[in-house]
Amino acid sequence: MNQNRVDEYRRNFMTTLGGVAAVAAVVPSFVLQTAHAAGEVAAKPVDQAVTNAKRWGMLIDVTKLTDGGAGMVAACKKEHGWGDEAHSADTQKAHWARVVKVTDKLTQNSFSLPVMCQHCENPPCVDVCPTGASMKRADGIVQVNKHICIGCRYCMMACPYKARSFVHEALQDQKPHSPRGMGTVESCNMCVHRIDAGKLPACVEAAPDAVIFGDLNDPNSAVSQAMKTIGGKQIRADLGLNTGVRYHGI
Amino acid sequence: MASQAIIFRETKDSKGFYILLAVLGAFLALGALAFFHAEHHGHHVTGMTNQVVWGLPHVFAIGLIVAASGALNVGSIGTVFGKKIYQPMGRLSALLAISLLVGGLIVLVLDLGHPDRLIVAMTTYNFKSIFAWNIILYNGFLALSAVYIWTMMDRKVKKFYKLAGVAAFTWRLILTTGTGSIFGFLVARDFYNSAVMAPLFIVMSFAMGLAVFILVLHFAYTWTGRPLGDVVMNRLRYLLAVFIGGVLLLEGARHFTGLYIAQKAGVENFILFDGGIYTQLFWVGQIMLGSLLPLSLIFCRKLANNRVALLLAALFTIVGGFAQLYVILIGGQAYPLVLFPGAEVSSDFFDGVINAYEPSIWELMLGLGGVALTLFMVTIGVKVLRFLPDSLSDAVADPHSK
Amino acid sequence: MTSKFSSVFLAATLAFATLLAGCSKAPTEADLNLATAKAKADQCVEPESVIRTKHMDLLMHQRDATMIEGIRTKQHSLKECINCHVSTTKQDGTPLHYGDKEHFCTTCHAAVGQKIDCFQCHADRPQTDDPNYQHTVGSTAGHHFTQGVTAAAAPTAAEVQMVTQPQQGAAK
Ligand code: SF4
Ligand code: SF4
Repeated sequence: MNQNRVDEYRRNFMTTLGGVAAVAAVVPSFVLQTAHAAGEVAAKPVDQAVTNAKRWGMLIDVTKLTDGGAGMVAACKKEHGWGDEAHSADTQKAHWARVVKVTDKLTQNSFSLPVMCQHCENPPCVDVCPTGASMKRADGIVQVNKHICIGCRYCMMACPYKARSFVHEALQDQKPHSPRGMGTVESCNMCVHRIDAGKLPACVEAAPDAVIFGDLNDPNSAVSQAMKTIGGKQIRADLGLNTGVRYHGI
Repeated sequence: MASQAIIFRETKDSKGFYILLAVLGAFLALGALAFFHAEHHGHHVTGMTNQVVWGLPHVFAIGLIVAASGALNVGSIGTVFGKKIYQPMGRLSALLAISLLVGGLIVLVLDLGHPDRLIVAMTTYNFKSIFAWNIILYNGFLALSAVYIWTMMDRKVKKFYKLAGVAAFTWRLILTTGTGSIFGFLVARDFYNSAVMAPLFIVMSFAMGLAVFILVLHFAYTWTGRPLGDVVMNRLRYLLAVFIGGVLLLEGARHFTGLYIAQKAGVENFILFDGGIYTQLFWVGQIMLGSLLPLSLIFCRKLANNRVALLLAALFTIVGGFAQLYVILIGGQAYPLVLFPGAEVSSDFFDGVINAYEPSIWELMLGLGGVALTLFMVTIGVKVLRFLPDSLSDAVADPHSK
Repeated sequence: MTSKFSSVFLAATLAFATLLAGCSKAPTEADLNLATAKAKADQCVEPESVIRTKHMDLLMHQRDATMIEGIRTKQHSLKECINCHVSTTKQDGTPLHYGDKEHFCTTCHAAVGQKIDCFQCHADRPQTDDPNYQHTVGSTAGHHFTQGVTAAAAPTAAEVQMVTQPQQGAAK
């Protein structure tokens, strides 16, 4: 990044701040976000490309989720509009996130947790995709570039977490910020449109006391600090995927 | 080499030819109908789901693709290993290989969520993806087989015959390895994640390809009234037995080791013992009908030189091959993904339950359409070009045998 | 691909121009009530001629920038095109979709026989419960054929259907 670029960055950043401050209604939520226990997202200037300086991730404290994560799942559904496909059978409806109840066979110990795309650092879904539609953004967000997805579903075969769904029917009136359509595969994209706008993912916002979101690359971020103290487990850590979504209490 | 020269000739015009074309055409039309139906309404009209994401079309597609590389074997044995008796069949073998591959690919492509973006698949490659490599492998296979046919048909390029044959043979081994690796590399699924997948697919391709070849050869000759002797057929007969044995061996190894690897024991037990339809397909379809029955048909003394027995053996080998692919593909997906080893899981997204799959009529139609396309191409091919030797009677095929 | 695209669109533009220039059946400018549209064309993100010939390239470029790099400038964003140019409802109050002949994009695409891929996934009309819903430019009068001129040279049902249908022939 040369100096001009940095200046431009600062200028843009200030404008963004100024712009935000000017709109009274937005101020409270902005303040909330920065001060929020749930983590922080700095607004990225809209004309800047994301870099690998940051890697977004979250820590979900399952012990603090009174509903097992149902509220988070509902927030995701509302944000992206999945799951109401009229013609599809239940087995064919999209599920970007779901609550999984786990009961240990020996101890009968039981807990629930929300499972969505784990935003793997070494994502099998990206490795197998023939066209490169299944992609990892520089900041670690894994998503499907539906423009070049041919709908082969190989990524669904490859994902260990069943995080992906195929859209089995034609859709209408999608959310403008979350395009999704027939014949393509989709999954949790960490609310990439919100992150780019400096907002927290919808599910994180829905469970502010149980989830901490932030930059895993920054050792001082709230999420890194929390993981350092209470730990952050991966589902199927044996696969070595280094997931960006971590859990406490599983 | 032979006392009687081998003469290749196009098949003749006949009523049978047009009837065959009409029948195949009907199946093609049904396949096209199925495609338009599923493409227009979306995949919700199929039995495929977010759990069982690859279904019957993929069984057909992979079956045809696997058979394609195997069908080329007959030619390769003649060219690469210099076995003269196989050489006259080289042209048909390569034609069949191309046709099978095209038939399989068309099913695969038409089942995509976005077949209209095929151009994307052809132009943007992610070189980490086995699938992308396969696209290159398939195209190369078509090209090499075509060149191979050319070297067999045109005296001017005859000197490249051996080279083309070897190239095609090598390529086909890589190709089947690639097809097997589509599954072998899926770390997420315990049933697939295994190095034995690639060699397993190679022997499978030998067996299925040869079985298809035997059937096509027989009917091509009897329906056009050309002589086809026992010498040729018996060679193929015992070769088929060897390949079936090979599949059994590798399948045995795969399942036995699977049972002993703790991670795989769950899904192995499911497939082998309590998987319902999949267990039945495995034991009855693949092992009994698809392997043991053909073997006994081949080795039964009383049935030596019995053509019908050989044809049945070939037919059942194909049935067994499809049963095997169904078990691998669908059975492997029916068994739930393991998120938490050693724990029971449940959710409203079918975690921890055996996934049901019921193929729809559309998927069957699409698959059969691919088969019909293959046979259509072969039928037209032998009609317009000189693929078939006039005679493969014992005297012609192997004059030294007597 | 792009070049085919643009040549088709060039032809499209020509056809559209002829249409406006007034072949006998085509509506006159007065019929079309283009005054508001024209006035507003100045407010568009690019000059009209650029938009007509290059909108697909601009959108394609923006699409990759947004998808892969997270660049979310508004100038060439499809969402903003829709916010500005498309009404949420038809005149009778029913939802307006790109399968309808009044839809801004469809009016032209149908006339030139060019299929639209975007709306299989993207919302084809603004969402009014979204507080960021803009529609400031064309809010009342609507654009082009949106209102008042449906009886003129609006595309036929067959043409409209062509725009929305999946490209089935392609893979055959
Ligand atoms: S969880 Fe699945 S979809 Fe998400 S990055 Fe990992 S492999 Fe891909
Ligand atoms: S379905 Fe789409 S994203 Fe998934 S592997 Fe195929 S092309 Fe890639």
